[in-house]
Amino acid sequence: MTESVAKIRVLIGKVGFDPHDRGILILSRGFRNAGMEVIFLGKFRTAEEVVSAAIQENVDVIALSDHCGVMRLIARDVTEQLERQGAGDICVVAGGIIPEEDKPALEAMGVTGNYGMGTPIEEIVRHIVERVNSRAKA
Amino acid sequence: MTHDATSYDRSFGGLVRDKTQSNIPVKSAYGPADLEGFDYERDAGNPGTPPFTRGIYPEMYRGSLWLKSFIVCYATPEETNRAFKKYIAAGQTGLRVLTDTSTLSGVDPDHPLALYDIMCNGNPTFALTEYETMLDGIALEDIDFESANSTPSGSFFTYVFLVALMEQRKADISRLRGTNINDPVHAFIVYGTPEFSPDLARRVNLDLIEFGIRHTPKWHPCTPCGYDMRDAGITSPQEMAFVIANALQYYGDAVAERGVRFDEFRPMVFSMSSESDFFETVAKFRATRRLWARMARERLGATSPRSMACRIGIRTAGNSIYPQKPLNNTARITLQVLAAVLGGVQSIDPSGIDETFGLPSEESRIFELDLQHIIAHESNVPLTADPLGGSYYVEWLTTRLETAAAALLEEIDRLGGMWKCLESGWLRQQFDRATTEIQGEINERQRLIVGANAFQGPDGAISRAIVDGAYKVPSDEKRFGAIERVRQLRQTRDGAAVRRRLGDLAAAVREGRNTVRSTIEAAKVYATVGEMVGTIRMAHGLPFDPYARISAPQFLQVGT
Repeated sequence: MTESVAKIRVLIGKVGFDPHDRGILILSRGFRNAGMEVIFLGKFRTAEEVVSAAIQENVDVIALSDHCGVMRLIARDVTEQLERQGAGDICVVAGGIIPEEDKPALEAMGVTGNYGMGTPIEEIVRHIVERVNSRAKA
Repeated sequence: MTHDATSYDRSFGGLVRDKTQSNIPVKSAYGPADLEGFDYERDAGNPGTPPFTRGIYPEMYRGSLWLKSFIVCYATPEETNRAFKKYIAAGQTGLRVLTDTSTLSGVDPDHPLALYDIMCNGNPTFALTEYETMLDGIALEDIDFESANSTPSGSFFTYVFLVALMEQRKADISRLRGTNINDPVHAFIVYGTPEFSPDLARRVNLDLIEFGIRHTPKWHPCTPCGYDMRDAGITSPQEMAFVIANALQYYGDAVAERGVRFDEFRPMVFSMSSESDFFETVAKFRATRRLWARMARERLGATSPRSMACRIGIRTAGNSIYPQKPLNNTARITLQVLAAVLGGVQSIDPSGIDETFGLPSEESRIFELDLQHIIAHESNVPLTADPLGGSYYVEWLTTRLETAAAALLEEIDRLGGMWKCLESGWLRQQFDRATTEIQGEINERQRLIVGANAFQGPDGAISRAIVDGAYKVPSDEKRFGAIERVRQLRQTRDGAAVRRRLGDLAAAVREGRNTVRSTIEAAKVYATVGEMVGTIRMAHGLPFDPYARISAPQFLQVGT
């Protein structure tokens, strides 16, 4: 697993005013420990900024976090921007407080994971590796 | 951690830890030798006498129960108003107001970054209109208002709007009661909103303390918040040291720079976290009172026992609530509330069992109240003060926590106080180190979280109902209604009065006067939070928008 992890570049950040950043801080560290390259964008960002940074940094994955229950809006704008900027191949994963009923819509947008608090980091890492690997094959 | 149900394993589920949650090593038994040098009068004292280890009142809960409080703020001021009235009828004794995430960040609902978070976590109180609706038909004098608005502008505008509304209704502002967090150092660490720069936040913090003590003597103008810091992932000694160090910073500055005496203040109120580690939590509240009594006397010149006593308001640990098997959250919250009562706190705000899914449902709120009624009336725990006082383990742990926190306080002193510790990055490092260590233990299963990293299992019907019952973010249509409302307000209010009052506010900022009065006057003519924040910033030489996405409205660009 380590070999495939080492090549993965992940951008992690938050869109809007949700201040809860313990999750992205912990995950950045966890992803780095797992051997990924992490671009930490922090909070108070717009969807446009996330996508521009992702393209500039040539990442494989965008990891979004939200604890305000509005991932569906954030994900909608981020995936729209990705399409618009011709970067639809970048995988998007998400976590935080994500309402159950929003999960099917998120999956349909290609936003996967959608983990809640307490999810073991290795499970999230495994998911990202799988997403990136299946994209490479596609 | 896998378990074959058919096997017979007596050690299954054995303890994995020999340390408390804050990694204090614990022996398997404690006795008199562990309390060597312990002096009852000096280290414990009867309830109601310094150092208040055993509680701040002689009668404790026999005299009056703790304040039952929780945040009741839903998406709109109308819903919040209905909820306030309903919970007052159910026995709630304090109103805790929380604005939504966008307004808390110092902007109006029509700010481009606000789009996602309008009405998330509270209602968008962008102008006095929203307070008028939210508190319609509710008496403003002599009710306890607790501001849960933690950011520098959040604390500032909660007070401004409450006083403005009282004056508008011809109520007596000297009868305003309650607490305001007003703890900018913790806000920079936990929230990191940039609406007030640190120098501006420092000034506004002191303005609130000075104005508060002169005009609203029953209001606690600054109640440092250990809770948010703890929930961001630090230890008990850190929580104690940082909350006390912040109090010493703000009140020390107020005494030195604003000509007030510490004895004039109402007793200190600290907001802290009630955690799942039962005895450490009980000991923490006892140790905090003892350490504060000494600090207030030695460092702030407190002379009366009253001003050496600190009240503690708690929230149960939000980060201990998990979405896996959510029924288990009832057990966690019950233990945390019980620890708070045994620790002798003055106000309790429990998490909702469904809080990891959304804002707590009404039934979950009523459970939070009933849980406290059960502890008060069925368990008989509150009949006597500090029932764990004198326990070898609890007294030892109290001293152990106090010693660790006092050592950290000394280090903070050496570094020049909390503003300096924030500026230098020392405080951030403290957080990073603690959260890394705790998370590492969770990953390694050295800290078990039932349902999450141990004892996992599927959700049953009750857990699924908890998930479904949580209050969800309102529809986009409803949420974006707030954008419409702020735009309409700007068109219908007296524009000339707004310009004049904001001009006065800018002058107060530039001339170094206390900003609270002029902000209240601007709020009364319906200036919005975004405009008032922008006016204060511009008068301080900063750009209008803290987030650098919009420019100042035309009318603010002229003459400021």
